[in-house]
Amino acid sequence: MRFDEIAIIAVRGIGLGSVYALVAMSFNIVKVSSGILNFAQGNMVVLGGLLAYFLFSMVGGPTQMSWYLFLPLAAIGVGILMTLQGIVILLPMRYSTEDHSWLITTMAFSVIIGAVLLITQGPNALSVRSVFPTFMVAGTHVPAPYLLTFALAVIWCLALSLFRTRTMTGLQISALWQNPEAARAAGLKIRRLQIVAFTISGLIVGSTGFVAAPMITVSADSGFRYVINGFVAVVIGGMGSNIGALIAGPLVGMVGMFAAYRYGAELQGVATLLALIAILLLRPQGLFGSTTARQV
Amino acid sequence: MSSVEQGIGPTAGNPSKRSTATPLAARLNTDFPQVIVAVIAVVAFLTVSEWSGSAYWGGIAKLTSLYLVATVFMSILYVDAGQTSFGQGAIFGASAYAVAVVGSLQGYSFAVAAIAGLGAALIGGVLFALPALRVQWFYLGFVTLSASMVFPDVLVYFDSITKGINGIRAPFTSITDKTAIGLSPLTLMIALVTVGALAFQVWLARTRLGRQMKVAASSTVAAQSLGISPSLMRSVAFLVTAFGTGLAGMLYPPTVGFVSPNAFHVDLSVLFFFAIIVGGTNQPLGPVVGLILLYMVPNVFLASFVEYRLLIYGLVALLVMLLMPNGIMGTLEDWRRRRAGGAAGESLRLDRFIAAARSNRIPRIDAPDVIAIEVADVRKAFGSVKAVDGVSITIRRGEIHGLVGANGSGKTSLLNIFSGFSRASAGTVKIAGADVGGMAAHQIALLGIGRTFQTPRILPGLSVWENLEIGLDARNPSAERTIPDDLISELRATFKDRSIETIPHGQRRLLEIMRIVLKEADILLLDEPAAGLSPDERRTFSELLRSLRDDLGKTIVLVEHDLDLVWGTADRVTVLETGRVAASGTPQEVAANPAVSHMFIGGQRA
Repeated sequence: MRFDEIAIIAVRGIGLGSVYALVAMSFNIVKVSSGILNFAQGNMVVLGGLLAYFLFSMVGGPTQMSWYLFLPLAAIGVGILMTLQGIVILLPMRYSTEDHSWLITTMAFSVIIGAVLLITQGPNALSVRSVFPTFMVAGTHVPAPYLLTFALAVIWCLALSLFRTRTMTGLQISALWQNPEAARAAGLKIRRLQIVAFTISGLIVGSTGFVAAPMITVSADSGFRYVINGFVAVVIGGMGSNIGALIAGPLVGMVGMFAAYRYGAELQGVATLLALIAILLLRPQGLFGSTTARQV
Repeated sequence: MSSVEQGIGPTAGNPSKRSTATPLAARLNTDFPQVIVAVIAVVAFLTVSEWSGSAYWGGIAKLTSLYLVATVFMSILYVDAGQTSFGQGAIFGASAYAVAVVGSLQGYSFAVAAIAGLGAALIGGVLFALPALRVQWFYLGFVTLSASMVFPDVLVYFDSITKGINGIRAPFTSITDKTAIGLSPLTLMIALVTVGALAFQVWLARTRLGRQMKVAASSTVAAQSLGISPSLMRSVAFLVTAFGTGLAGMLYPPTVGFVSPNAFHVDLSVLFFFAIIVGGTNQPLGPVVGLILLYMVPNVFLASFVEYRLLIYGLVALLVMLLMPNGIMGTLEDWRRRRAGGAAGESLRLDRFIAAARSNRIPRIDAPDVIAIEVADVRKAFGSVKAVDGVSITIRRGEIHGLVGANGSGKTSLLNIFSGFSRASAGTVKIAGADVGGMAAHQIALLGIGRTFQTPRILPGLSVWENLEIGLDARNPSAERTIPDDLISELRATFKDRSIETIPHGQRRLLEIMRIVLKEADILLLDEPAAGLSPDERRTFSELLRSLRDDLGKTIVLVEHDLDLVWGTADRVTVLETGRVAASGTPQEVAANPAVSHMFIGGQRA
């Protein structure tokens, strides 16, 4: 392999992997607060991309000016939708004998979003043009969204770390993760905190979909891929660890990119699956996770 | 009479007063009527559609039946064995593809192709079982889900074998032509496999293997304490499921006449899973109802709205979960049970149990020096916390040994080391003379250890009798029988239709003790068994402990905060403090020991 090939794989792998890292972070905050892994998260990324497409076509094409204006709009739009989703999903968890209803409800949400996309947009992917010029990295042209997505992942990782350590709501959400019973006994408004977590999670994936729109597949059936790869990043990085997600996401991206380059696009998913199995066999708690406590 | 006497144990009265035929409304479950309805529905759908001569309806009936088989087997794996495998569609597809490749491309007969299909499914089952030995719950769910997501990619990648995206035509006309009765051999095979799958699920749940799978699914520690290897149960469940899914998958190519990678997309796996939950878990009709709603409604009944197919499917799943979290059949069953009223019936009684033990008295071991458990200088640290810090104890056969101490003094940690749930960092543990240092928990259980837990390991969804029966299932064949058969059949008759949910919390601990006595364990490790019992109940409970020792010759290790209970029953007492032995000896010696006098306020036991 030539150096420039390695550089392309690395840079594109990191860029695409940053999407996985961001999905992993958005998984983490919901998982930490309610134990739910939201299967609809992948289609929420796609919705962020779709919002980019619509907002830009409203003003007659993407410009840098409108990019800065629309980024928060897309984030808030998906944030609102995920807040509603959170409210609906948490509804039956009050009285179900098994608290696994979320497995079905989140998957159903994912199916519904995909179905609506299919009905309104058809099966083809929408393309969104990048508004920024390409960068030169290691002698190759790199489209700006790859670097912007990586920057977004770093920014969200820092913001979430500040949120979790410096704000009351963030501390309370961490308390839910440590010990839900104690948090309940201490009088925390658990349901409200869980919904806030859904909102933040929506802001993360909404902004991700918007920024990464030119490089991801904005289509009805691509959401699941982001869910699976995001989950692999969660496992490798360690459940609940955003730093772990920030490192693991690009790793997953590069493994997939390398497999696609070397063996063909069909084996990209297989490579990710093998990476997932390898980490679960060798270090199930992930690179940055902690081991579990006594069972009895 | 105290409430334990009224409360626990089969009735002292005459059990024959109970009628043997239980009316439908009072039954614990309606598995048998449900299976009969499901079988009639499937057979009628298959035969009527084929006789009608409509290729469309015949195809729909056959395909839906095959999906039903895969769903039923996935339900065995997910509900009964507790394994979150979301990739069953890939196993179904592997079997179908193997049949198409061997039968259609290589030109072998359907019989040979079918064997190849089953083989491919079993290989898939082994591949899924391997990660399940290491990880569980949603980790396993994601591994299997991604496996089913990449499955079509793999089919495309190996296009030299599978013809890639073009798929394989596989008509198998030899088995699709109608016979004299107007049904093709294929339809007969599908009917047989479907009826077999529906019956198998209900039958399996009533076997020892089925119950042990449920124990392993519900609680790993409970399974191990009953001598069940959770890994073995998982592997068996994956292989049984792969076999059943393979049976369904191998009949797919002759049914559809064609296989292509798109037919085994991840959506197929998700459909099987949705059908189980939406239909209602633990209900034989659940998968039938689930598939009618999620597959037949969007694809057949509303086929004219083809572009809304996915939307209808997603909305049905979402709405059912929001309105009926236990699924359609689960909600109907809840409603039936509520209407039948909380059948009070008999409750557990200890006095009968004690009386039976007395009548069957076996001579107490008169060899006080035979050692049941011997631990020497055992240590266990969790991070920097030394939970057990150099403990040496000898527990003799036939004694009640009280383990007391403050919370966090290492009592439960020590019990966990005895039963193999955690491994000592240093020191030796000998049970019945065997060094258990390197043994798995379920192997230690076979040495005759019985364990109860602070949080009783009660299996929800099973009857009171089945919760006791799993102890009977765990009996070591070579162990001496101390519980008479007539007491066992009396327990079965009294409790087979009683829901475990009707047993109050405090009495669940006693049920756990009865379970390990039925297991014929001769060393009982009881973790705070008297918590939640009233003073009256405690008196009866002490009597039970003495009876277990004197009449049945049990050795009992009693972890308990109620010092009165311990001093009233124990032959020897060990006091633990911050992971070390603070005092040990007869209750009188320990009470007189100045090192632990602070435990007793004003010379009295606290």
